[in-house]
Amino acid sequence: MAQRAGQKRKVVEVPRPEPEESEDELVDGELDGALVDDGDSEEELSDDESGDDLDEGDIEEEIELDSDEIPSSEDEEDVRQQLQDLKTGNGKSTPLQKLMRSDTAKDVSVITPGTDVKLLHDDPGEESNYTITTDANGNERYVYGEIDPGYDTDDSDAPVTTNTIGDIPLSYYDAYPHIGYDINGRRISRPAKGEALDSLLDSIDLPKGWTGLTDPATGKPLQLTREELDVLKKLTRNEVPGDGYDPYPDMVEYFTGKGMEEVMPLSAAPEPKRRFVPSMHEHKRVMKMVKAIKEGRIKPYRAPTEEDKEREEAEADFATYDVWANEQPQPDHPMNVPAPKLPPPGYEESYHPPPEYLPDSQEKQAWGEQDEEDRDRDFLPRDHAALRKVPGYEKLIKEKFERCLDLYLAPRVRRSKLNIDPESLLPKLPDPAELKPFPTTCATVCKGHEGRVRTLAFDPSGKFVASGGDDGTVRVWDPLTGRQCWRIKLSASEPINVVSWRPGTDVFILAACCGENVYFMVPQGSIISPEAEVASQEVLDSGFGHAASNAAKTAAGQDKPSSSSWSRPSAALQERGVLVTLTLRSTPKTLSWHRRGDYFTTVSPSTAATSTAIAIHTLSKHQTQHPFKRLKGLAQTACFHPSKPLFFVATRQRVRVYDLQQQKLEKELQPGARWISGISLHPLGSNLLVSSYDKRLLWHDLDLGAMPYKTLRYHSKAIRSVQFHATLPLFVDGSDDGTLQVFHGKVVGDSLENATVVPLKVLRGHRVVRELGVLDVAWHPREAWAVSAGADGSVRVWT
Amino acid sequence: MATAQVPGDRLAQVRIHLKTRSPDIELPQDTGPILVSTELKRYQLSTLVNRLLDTEKPIPLEFLVNGQFLRTSIDEFLTQNGISAETTLSVEYVKALIPPLYVASYEHDDWVSSVDVLSASSKAGQWAGARYDSSAQRILSGSYDGLLRVWNMSSEVVATGQGHTASVKAAKVLSPTQVVSSGFDRTLRLWKYEDSEAAGAASLTPTLELYGHKASIDNIAVHAPSSRILSASSDHTVGIWSSKKAEGPAAPENLLPTANKRRKLSNTKTLPQRGPLNILEGHQSQVSDVCFDGRDATVAYSSSWDHSVKTWDLTTGACVDTRTTAQSLFSICHLPEASLLATGTSARHITLIDPRASATTVSAMTLRGHTNAVVSLATDPASSYQLVSGSHDGTCKIWDIRSVRNDAGTERVGDSVYTIERDSAKGKPKAVGGEGVKVFGVAWDREVGVVSGGEDKRVQINKSSPP
Repeated sequence: MAQRAGQKRKVVEVPRPEPEESEDELVDGELDGALVDDGDSEEELSDDESGDDLDEGDIEEEIELDSDEIPSSEDEEDVRQQLQDLKTGNGKSTPLQKLMRSDTAKDVSVITPGTDVKLLHDDPGEESNYTITTDANGNERYVYGEIDPGYDTDDSDAPVTTNTIGDIPLSYYDAYPHIGYDINGRRISRPAKGEALDSLLDSIDLPKGWTGLTDPATGKPLQLTREELDVLKKLTRNEVPGDGYDPYPDMVEYFTGKGMEEVMPLSAAPEPKRRFVPSMHEHKRVMKMVKAIKEGRIKPYRAPTEEDKEREEAEADFATYDVWANEQPQPDHPMNVPAPKLPPPGYEESYHPPPEYLPDSQEKQAWGEQDEEDRDRDFLPRDHAALRKVPGYEKLIKEKFERCLDLYLAPRVRRSKLNIDPESLLPKLPDPAELKPFPTTCATVCKGHEGRVRTLAFDPSGKFVASGGDDGTVRVWDPLTGRQCWRIKLSASEPINVVSWRPGTDVFILAACCGENVYFMVPQGSIISPEAEVASQEVLDSGFGHAASNAAKTAAGQDKPSSSSWSRPSAALQERGVLVTLTLRSTPKTLSWHRRGDYFTTVSPSTAATSTAIAIHTLSKHQTQHPFKRLKGLAQTACFHPSKPLFFVATRQRVRVYDLQQQKLEKELQPGARWISGISLHPLGSNLLVSSYDKRLLWHDLDLGAMPYKTLRYHSKAIRSVQFHATLPLFVDGSDDGTLQVFHGKVVGDSLENATVVPLKVLRGHRVVRELGVLDVAWHPREAWAVSAGADGSVRVWT
Repeated sequence: MATAQVPGDRLAQVRIHLKTRSPDIELPQDTGPILVSTELKRYQLSTLVNRLLDTEKPIPLEFLVNGQFLRTSIDEFLTQNGISAETTLSVEYVKALIPPLYVASYEHDDWVSSVDVLSASSKAGQWAGARYDSSAQRILSGSYDGLLRVWNMSSEVVATGQGHTASVKAAKVLSPTQVVSSGFDRTLRLWKYEDSEAAGAASLTPTLELYGHKASIDNIAVHAPSSRILSASSDHTVGIWSSKKAEGPAAPENLLPTANKRRKLSNTKTLPQRGPLNILEGHQSQVSDVCFDGRDATVAYSSSWDHSVKTWDLTTGACVDTRTTAQSLFSICHLPEASLLATGTSARHITLIDPRASATTVSAMTLRGHTNAVVSLATDPASSYQLVSGSHDGTCKIWDIRSVRNDAGTERVGDSVYTIERDSAKGKPKAVGGEGVKVFGVAWDREVGVVSGGEDKRVQINKSSPP
């Protein structure tokens, strides 16, 4: 192609003008150059026409490369050509004029000679370049001097002539494969034509989107879609890559425009004074700083010296100093901590461990159940037949994440494991098994009562249980066999509210409250010895004798109406063993004996007059006293102290202790119950149990004050009754939820130690009938046997 | 040599050393350790021992290994108890107790408080010896309705004794012609019994009333050769009585029913009344049961609700020894061969007490299994190691004191061999506290079997029929 270009140039240069007058030539020398330049531009135009768009410089380089072999000769040729061109400068102007045919060209052609002349004359240097001599023929001979190699003389830019065929049309070589000869006589081959290349390229079938590039990522040929190509093309042209992209959006006027005009000035107030007066506070602060600088407290900035930099670097190095970088074996010393060494992996870590290292199912389960922190190893050995069967490490992500959190120093909530034995938090109570004996099972069920059994009592010898119920009968049972030994019907309509044996084993007297009467009876049926029977009858009869002997005095002294009457019952009842009847004005609900068996107290909570609610009776004298003129609250129950002359009265919410000898209030207890159902005094007399209808059982230590020492709330319904055991450290309560609860309640003799209360057993068995379960409980006088009266009509013995 | 016990190894063998405590089935000569297969069970072992004994008729035997009856194969037994098959097992063989099967129930009008058996092999029959040649068997029952009844084996009442004014609590056969009973009316009554096979033909006539107790007499014990009767009463005393009219002192006047003006004597014919030979006082609470020593009739034992067992010398009437347990005691019987007293307790088990002075511990052994108070005990007439107990839980249980294990360290505990349920409670849900099926009295006779009476108003007979 380079040859072709050069050739073309030659072709264009074909019209060679004839040499003219040297003066003109000389004068035109400068202009010729310009004209030759013009001619070059013409050539370029013609080149464009031929479709060749290569630069001139490129051409020259190509030429130079092609004519490497003989550059000097070529240069000479160039020089000669230039000289020829210079000579034909004048002749060339004519065709130019013809070509242009414009006024300016005409003007140039008109003006040029004159100016040239002037220039020639003006330039003396040019004149002395040659001398005109006369040759032998007499003709003028131009003898040229040395050429000054100025810039203009360098003709290396001129196209190199490679084809040596001369000034002939190339069509002469149309029949040949070459188009000429170079300076060494070698054929210049005809360049391949466009049509041939195109046909070659067309012959190669290219895939769609073929770019010829290789994707460095995949190594596959990079294929681009049409859209991608479009984008690339646009990018190369500095065009907008997308269709919807607007490179010049309209300006949004945020701060200017309509409605944004700033109204000036903001305030018409005159400038305040402080704008002109130096600030006092600033002055103060500045003075502080100045003072600190003077005192050396603030040091002005000093450029860090080399030492400072070194120190900083050392500090930075210290932070990243690898302790174990150069680990050398050293003698054992506390200051030398050797690098931790991981143990080499064992058989367990193997992907195919020996079978003895594989965990069995139990070990696996145990491992799975353990907490992660407690596991001695954090993996389970698993067997894979081959290494390629080992699955990916499932905990990788998790561990990496944990590691990242570690690096972040991310705080994480660690489950703090409580190593507190829950048993140790409980108060130390003795094991119930150590507190035997206590009732655990129902030994006997005594059935016979129709309707509820309201009350029961163990006789003082422990052989019999007396019970009374809604059917108006009093029954005596053998607690071991459940045999009913004796039975009497006291009333057809009224229930028996209380049965109570007189204390003492020598006599056998049973008191029963039915309606407004209190019956005193001696059970028959061979269950008591004849001696005891006789003694009991004597005790009961003695009162009549006393009443008879003192009748006159009573009548003479005070004739206040007696609130009670002692009498003999009907003959039928006497035949059955009922020997004395005491009739009160109101229904007594509780009856409690003094330990000697002579006094007993009855409480009638339903009475209108509170003064007669509580009565103390003397059996031997058939007397009735009302110790309280006026009682605060509604009396519920009362009892005597076992050894001291104290009298306990429970109203609905209070328990009061009275000294009977001194006739005064000893103590008032506040159990905190809303409605007291019963009280039981410990046989030693220093502790009192209070049961309440609001499900609570309250233990009062009389030495400790008015508030209960312990509150036991284990029942789901009202507690009806509570009883201390006479000899064993036990107490039992009965509730409307049909259960009895047995407690161990040990009272120590010295007052320094508090009582121990241990729940022992819940005794279930009574049916709940109409919201009522267990109505009364009692203890065997010696054994750990409890009896309970149920609303289901049964008396149960628990052993 | 014994090989190691390998599962599935048919040849697994174990060395056993056979021994027995019964002289009648002892091996002719000590065989020493025998190598037997661990596959053997009771039956095969029994066959083996019978072959060794060379008996004409095979005796069914039971085998006790380490105090437990062998109920499975030896192999399983060893596995269960963790015993090595290489040790020599000491195997004790005993005559097998055939399970007592239900035979009959005799219905009463009221609860049956006490039962006793009259047969040639019973105590009374043995005491009578040649005088009693009847092969007939009679069952005496005392009931809460105050009647004594004598039954033949075809469930017919042959005689009824009427005389007690209250419930009868105890009744014993003294001899084939004499019966003694006691009850809530604080008296002991001696009856003359004339036997007859036909129903109602026999007669039970009161001969003597014994007064002396102030409260109900809950149990009695009899010894015919010395004509002594012991009574356990609720008035905390034990009474010694003679069955002979001539021996008895006069009855205490204050205790005679005539002292009670309200009690009318309906019976115009007054019986002779006698008092006690002695009243033994010492118990703190009511005496529940009394028994003679099995070997020495001058020694008696009594159990009481005050938790104690007292040994009495009857000739002097002194309390020789007192053993106190932790529970109320409701029944007692003496095992003479083992020199042990079995006592039924309110704590639902049977405590075996060694009454000898040399014994260091109170409780030699505890038999557990009952669920309510044990109120009646009787020994096996055929074996000195077995006893039957009647309990308020409605069952009778048969125990073998050779079957023992150590529980909770030092305590020796036995389990029951057989349990006899009440036939009347069959098919019913188990009652709480044995309600309705309580057993009050039990007797064991070689010929009749286990006879028990209870709250279900029945006397129930269970007999182990020989194969």
